[in-house]
Amino acid sequence: MLTEVKNQIIVTAQSIKFALQREMLNKVTFLTNIIFMILNNACFIVQWIILYSLKDNVGGYSFKQVLLLWGMAAMTYGISRFFFKDSFELSEIINSGQLDNYLVQPKNVLISCITSSVEVSAIGDMIYGLIMLFLFGLKPHTILLFLFCGLCGALVIVSIAIIFSSLSFWFGKTEMLANTVNSLMTNFATYPEGIFKGLVKILFYTILPLGITTYVPVQLISHLEWKWIIFIILGTIFFIFLAFFIFYKGLKRYSSTNLMNARI
Amino acid sequence: MKKYLYIFKSELMTNLQYIFDILIGFISYCIMIFIFLNLWNYIYSDPSEVIKGYTMNQMIWYVIVTEILWMSLGSRKLNRKICNDVRSGNITYNITKPYNYVEYILFSHLGVTTLKFVMVTILGLGIGLIYLKSIPTLSFVKVIGVLLSCLFATIINILLITALGLFSFFIEDASPLFWLYSKAILVVGTIFPIEFFPAFLQPIMKYSPIYAVSYAPAKLFVDFSYPKLLEAFIIQGIYLIVAFLLTHWIYRKGVKKLNVNGG
Repeated sequence: MLTEVKNQIIVTAQSIKFALQREMLNKVTFLTNIIFMILNNACFIVQWIILYSLKDNVGGYSFKQVLLLWGMAAMTYGISRFFFKDSFELSEIINSGQLDNYLVQPKNVLISCITSSVEVSAIGDMIYGLIMLFLFGLKPHTILLFLFCGLCGALVIVSIAIIFSSLSFWFGKTEMLANTVNSLMTNFATYPEGIFKGLVKILFYTILPLGITTYVPVQLISHLEWKWIIFIILGTIFFIFLAFFIFYKGLKRYSSTNLMNARI
Repeated sequence: MKKYLYIFKSELMTNLQYIFDILIGFISYCIMIFIFLNLWNYIYSDPSEVIKGYTMNQMIWYVIVTEILWMSLGSRKLNRKICNDVRSGNITYNITKPYNYVEYILFSHLGVTTLKFVMVTILGLGIGLIYLKSIPTLSFVKVIGVLLSCLFATIINILLITALGLFSFFIEDASPLFWLYSKAILVVGTIFPIEFFPAFLQPIMKYSPIYAVSYAPAKLFVDFSYPKLLEAFIIQGIYLIVAFLLTHWIYRKGVKKLNVNGG
């Protein structure tokens, strides 16, 4: 069992390494993508400077906490898009029959599939996340908590993408639904929880678990409380198991399209 | 001109066949409006409060109009198409045809945008009316003025995005330039009117593309006056000419560098 896990980790790391090397063939494009993504994210600071010039507190967040919220949102987005890019293309992969490529490999189908390519600009998101943490205030425990919450949040985002994409096994073309849920997760993540009221807040702790990916982590980094660490760990484990369960349940219904193509 | 009108019409008819995709796109619009409704509700502690010359209703209508312009544009798709045309060499198919590539892009994308604009406008006005229960009162002539300003804003936007996409002739992937442009429009032009920025920045912003593509039509909708209309038309007219010439210039320079291998 442990050897199997070790082998899977080695294969996944190699897969990501080769995907990155492929993207680095054109160094100018590689660096431009990263730098411009950082600048692209930084544009939004203007929005918050203006909002905080109107009000001292937005949704219960101070300006520094909003920077941290942005940092956390960028970090979770970056990790999920860099290491697990194809989880956001999974619906299309299932529908077009490209899953055949991974079924014949002697490794975990889901992990091999979602880690087969990388999004270079996501490196810019991760760097931007760290810059925001620096502006919030660097302390040894905040760095550790930030990286821990960033990883957990990314795994939850990836799990949500897998869950909604896996519906394609039953209902065919569901990429629009999966894309909509993914974009909901991204759009809401950069606004303080306190500005929303009513039913939306329930969504943040159920089918759009922004509570785990961004809101609780911001509270946790601001005021360390162990109960929130346990909440994040349990929430992350729950969504990962649910994603695996639904994907493999659906995989039993998968049938090849006999698509012939070359993977270069 | 006739051939470009035909391109516009055929693109419009094609998009009518994919109306479901456009309807799905409405979800994104609704999400953005929902977020801004909540945000401005929070910022305005009292709906009758006036911040920087805007009431809460005016502020929300401003965002509804700027989001209509941005969402109906399909800017990301346009940028991707131009970058892909240049990088893949597909642009050679257009070069050999009896039309200019820039004008072809302009009219074909206007065909895509027109249908979306009509549908998103109906949706936006519906959301605004349901939520705010009032709408700025405009006469027929004023409505025509606002719509013309929206048309100019859209044409300028398409030309500027085309110009950025054509940079793919010089650098392999020009998408990062578009990211910055889109975020500048989104943050500076869509969410806040110019009056919300520091006084020293306002004159600069008034003469920036943000005024022409975003602020002018939305401001006319929420606070119409004929001097403002005239000012908007003058600035948009100048931007229209500059953007048109600039895009053609980049295209002419870039196409000389084109090197397509095989087929």
